[in-house]
Amino acid sequence: MNTRSVPNYKPTVAMAAVVIFGMAGSVLLSRWIDAHRLAADRTIEEERLYITASSARHMSLGFRGLVADWYWMRSLQYVGGKILSVPQDVELDDLSQLNLQLLAPLLDTATTLDPEFLEPYEYAAIVLSAVDVPQAIRITQKGIDANPSAWRLYQQLGYIYWQQGDFQAASEAYGRGARVPGAPVWMEAMKARMAAEGGSRTTAREIYSRMFEESGDVKVKEMARRRLLQLESFEERDAIRTVLSAYRERTGHCPVSWKEIAALLRTTGLTLDVSGTPLDPAGMPYVLRTADCSVDLDPNSEVPYN
Amino acid sequence: MNTTTSLQAISESTLAQNRYIAKRGNAGMRIAAIARNAFREAVRDRVLYNLVLFVLMLTAAAIFIGELSGGQERKIIVDLGLSAMLLFGVFIAIFVGVGLVYKEIERRTVYAIFAKPVGRGEFLVGKYLGLCLTLLVNVVIMGAGVSLALIYVSRGWDPLALRLWPAVLLIYVELMIVTGVALLFSSFSSPALAALLTFLVFIIGHFSADLKQLSLSMPGAIARGLFSGLYYLLPNLANLSFITPAAHGHVPQLANLIATVLYALLYIAVILASTTLIFSRRNFK
Repeated sequence: MNTRSVPNYKPTVAMAAVVIFGMAGSVLLSRWIDAHRLAADRTIEEERLYITASSARHMSLGFRGLVADWYWMRSLQYVGGKILSVPQDVELDDLSQLNLQLLAPLLDTATTLDPEFLEPYEYAAIVLSAVDVPQAIRITQKGIDANPSAWRLYQQLGYIYWQQGDFQAASEAYGRGARVPGAPVWMEAMKARMAAEGGSRTTAREIYSRMFEESGDVKVKEMARRRLLQLESFEERDAIRTVLSAYRERTGHCPVSWKEIAALLRTTGLTLDVSGTPLDPAGMPYVLRTADCSVDLDPNSEVPYN
Repeated sequence: MNTTTSLQAISESTLAQNRYIAKRGNAGMRIAAIARNAFREAVRDRVLYNLVLFVLMLTAAAIFIGELSGGQERKIIVDLGLSAMLLFGVFIAIFVGVGLVYKEIERRTVYAIFAKPVGRGEFLVGKYLGLCLTLLVNVVIMGAGVSLALIYVSRGWDPLALRLWPAVLLIYVELMIVTGVALLFSSFSSPALAALLTFLVFIIGHFSADLKQLSLSMPGAIARGLFSGLYYLLPNLANLSFITPAAHGHVPQLANLIATVLYALLYIAVILASTTLIFSRRNFK
């Protein structure tokens, strides 16, 4: 009699069923909990960091660089989350409306943990300066103290002062940076330009051009590119207003369409589409405001409005 | 009679000397055999499986970190890779290190070993070197992984892939110290206590600058002496920490590197000697 033992698969099947159905159940429950979670308390979200920068430095043992990276990424996520929470487009250098209370301590901690980490200083100069100028200056100055040979930090300090309209302090910052070995020649030129014509568009164009060329951060580069587009658009709108004003003076009324003044606009070197409508630097048509005989940006244009 | 006694004395002295030379000559081989065995045991215990986790983590980081880091993926890959190398290594050094001797005692295989002409010091050094070899394999493979991940995120050759190796060497030296400390504690306490004490030494070792500062700022001579003593007694692991500068492409000065490695080797010699002293007093008869 040949009796072959038949393997008993029942326990295996039962356990596999527990694994599969248990996992599926836990996924469903997690989704239910997420959907029914109370809205996060704003005051808790914006609570000050528990750990000060110097404590974090002590507690991170041999992992300071990694903890600094974590604080840096948290800063990016924090700002990114705030930007996503508002419906309209906001520029990276104009986030004052977003209540970025934690940005300064986050950047401060990242740079205390790794003082040679230059990107958080740049973020402090560009983003934080719109929210908390004294903190932005303090963090950038801290970066200069820790990295005296990094001329870019002087450029960023100069940018903060320029944004505040303190052209003398900006000029001094560029001047100090120009003396750093290896600093580009244009730092010295910026020092002079800042002192002579700090508030001019030429200076602004120079600042954003250098920022676009030198920055390693894609978002900062993008911000500088858009600011350059805006500066170009300012020039173009000035030229269009001059044409509109001359036309009104000559005819006694404002043109009802761009077509009426297309020939005049062409003489100023503006780019026009086939219908004679002038295009902004991003390629969108300008809007003719007949009510006050002026020109405006298309709301869909990528050229920043403010 | 005197001549016979004198010849007998010379003959005994020569025999003892020969025995001494023979024993000394074979000590290296015995240590190597124990080390080889300890390495094989670690491999059999699947200690090197941590490499799979490390590679998965690094691959995920290399692919996704660019999205989160604002263009800082090179720095973050180095920080993450070297920190994980240190952390994984410390866990292996502690949890395998505290079991090196304990397991032999628990399984009573130590009696069989000491029944042969193997010194207790040789046994300990062999075990220690076996785990160090395991850690070396671990660290070298992880270092190669970090270099490859860097080349991947840089889309081509990246000098940082070579410049991070002095930091890898220092991590390995740090792990050698931690292994020695784990072996020392395991020679007189239970594995759980030894693991806890070793982990505490690892933490305090990174606070050495604070210990020195405390010793300088304390008002009383006794407190000053205590903290100063602790500063010199505990391993100065902060000196071996070079991960953060390595992520910026810095390499340590050669003189500093040599001095740090010499310090570590000297410290390890002290630990192993202390362990042998303690272990020699244990009764296995």
